[in-house]
Amino acid sequence: MSATSWVWFGIAVYIAAGLGIAFMARRQLGAGVSEFFLANRKLGGFISALTYSATTYSAFMMIGLAGLTYLSGVGALGFELTYLCGMFMMVFFLPRFWLVGKKYGYVSPMELLSDRYQNRGVGATAAILALVFLVPYGAVQLMGVGYLVNGVSGGAIAVGWGIVIAAVCAIAWSSIAGLRSVAWTDAFQAIIMITVSAAVLGVVINALGGFGSFFDRLESAVPGLLTVPTSKGSWNLNMFIGLALPWLFFLISNPQVSQRLFIPKSVTAMKQMLGGFLIFGFIYTMISVLWGFSARLLVPGLENADLATPTMLALPIIPTGLAIVVMIGITAAAISTIDSILLTLSSVWARDIHKGLINRQVSERRELRVGQWVIPIMAVIAFVFAWWAAGLYPFEQAGDVFDRMIAPLSSAASAGLLMAVPTIFGAFFWKRGTALGAMVSMITGAIIVLIFQVTGERPLGWWPGVWGFVVCVPLFVIVSLATKPPREKAEEFIGYLKGALKKGRFI
Amino acid sequence: MTKTVWAWVWFGFLLALDIAIPWYVLTSVEKMSAAFMFWTIWVLAAIASAFFIFLKWREVKS
Repeated sequence: MSATSWVWFGIAVYIAAGLGIAFMARRQLGAGVSEFFLANRKLGGFISALTYSATTYSAFMMIGLAGLTYLSGVGALGFELTYLCGMFMMVFFLPRFWLVGKKYGYVSPMELLSDRYQNRGVGATAAILALVFLVPYGAVQLMGVGYLVNGVSGGAIAVGWGIVIAAVCAIAWSSIAGLRSVAWTDAFQAIIMITVSAAVLGVVINALGGFGSFFDRLESAVPGLLTVPTSKGSWNLNMFIGLALPWLFFLISNPQVSQRLFIPKSVTAMKQMLGGFLIFGFIYTMISVLWGFSARLLVPGLENADLATPTMLALPIIPTGLAIVVMIGITAAAISTIDSILLTLSSVWARDIHKGLINRQVSERRELRVGQWVIPIMAVIAFVFAWWAAGLYPFEQAGDVFDRMIAPLSSAASAGLLMAVPTIFGAFFWKRGTALGAMVSMITGAIIVLIFQVTGERPLGWWPGVWGFVVCVPLFVIVSLATKPPREKAEEFIGYLKGALKKGRFI
Repeated sequence: MTKTVWAWVWFGFLLALDIAIPWYVLTSVEKMSAAFMFWTIWVLAAIASAFFIFLKWREVKS
């Protein structure tokens, strides 16, 4: 069989397995909004850990992070591990989200904010922030699948086909049984992601003579990549903080992952989810970075570092079958992120925009129907963005627009979502926080991030997310102090948590 | 100080190390046993301390 036939065969097996798992999950699907979007808060620890892992880790790891390591060295490891260190904050936020989710029946993190600040505008603002920044981010994932399929098939399969396949799979996984199908397919995909990436790294390290020889060769061939900043100036402190700060707070700023904090069925499941994710994250990060370093030794001199992985997969030392499976693993990483984003955005639209702002009296049945319709609509928007960004017909001349709009939006995704962090901290830890403080800080911060991202301006060398954060934190505090807080709700919400946290020996 | 405050202080300390060691102590050491090893051990310490805290959690009646 030709490489192209192998690619099609691999994709067909992957889709068949994913559909089978999704339809199996549908057998357990009950009725209602909480059931569809949160699996009725009844997921076990193993599935929770794997869906959290697959949702968090996208195609960025084996392509973007590997490319970043290839280009700029060990700073990429520090940046990604800083995110994982930030997961330490789960010991504060996981029990808090979980407890109030159960008590008040929140479906989305934005609904939590609306209720805590007693103002639907807070949730709606956070929802719009998520819609603006996450849809282009999803589009880039679709594009990633398109380029990967195209690269591994030697150009025989068009980029557009990859985009179509990824979009259709993401719609299917998230529509068939809501979070149940997303979580089960995520678990399947997470296992593929980590096993095939470990296997292919093993093959490459073996070809390089084992870990000892690999490390020795790195020290002699590219010693400048083993320090920060590098000799070429990468990873100065501004770059590191600019990239790492938004990721440090990823666990609460990105709704597709913070919504996962509502789903474990018990405290034991919560512990398994957190422990399982920390182990998965550490292993997958090390694999991705070592893969990037090995690419630097085996395929030096690439002009585009993002091509390091496709170029490596084409090397004769990697069997064709394994290369195809790795491609499927990376595709799985991308799709498991997009489907979660689609499901979360649909719940956010249904609960925080439709029910929150448009029709407050909407029935649960109708709300669910709205959410289900939003899934393909969001997917189509992301699809159009991806098609546009890839310069496919009828957007051949759209490269300039992509440079001005979609690329900044997608790369600003985490930085933009970071602007909700003071509001989320305030919800749990500061009774004096107010709705106006929350809205002003989120909107102003997001505007600053967008302006600096689009114009490329970096005053004092600080990155857009840092500027936005530096402005939105004091804004939240000052505006809150100047306005009237929802005292009764704040006392009740934080007071409840204080008692419940003590009972579970949480901190 | 309460356990919560101690945990925040520990987290802040970890973040301070994240900058101080690679950029000021190991900045000119071009070895795998320098920044690469530091970040690996550092994150394992963060993960271990999270385990130390959350393994004490117990079931609560809803």
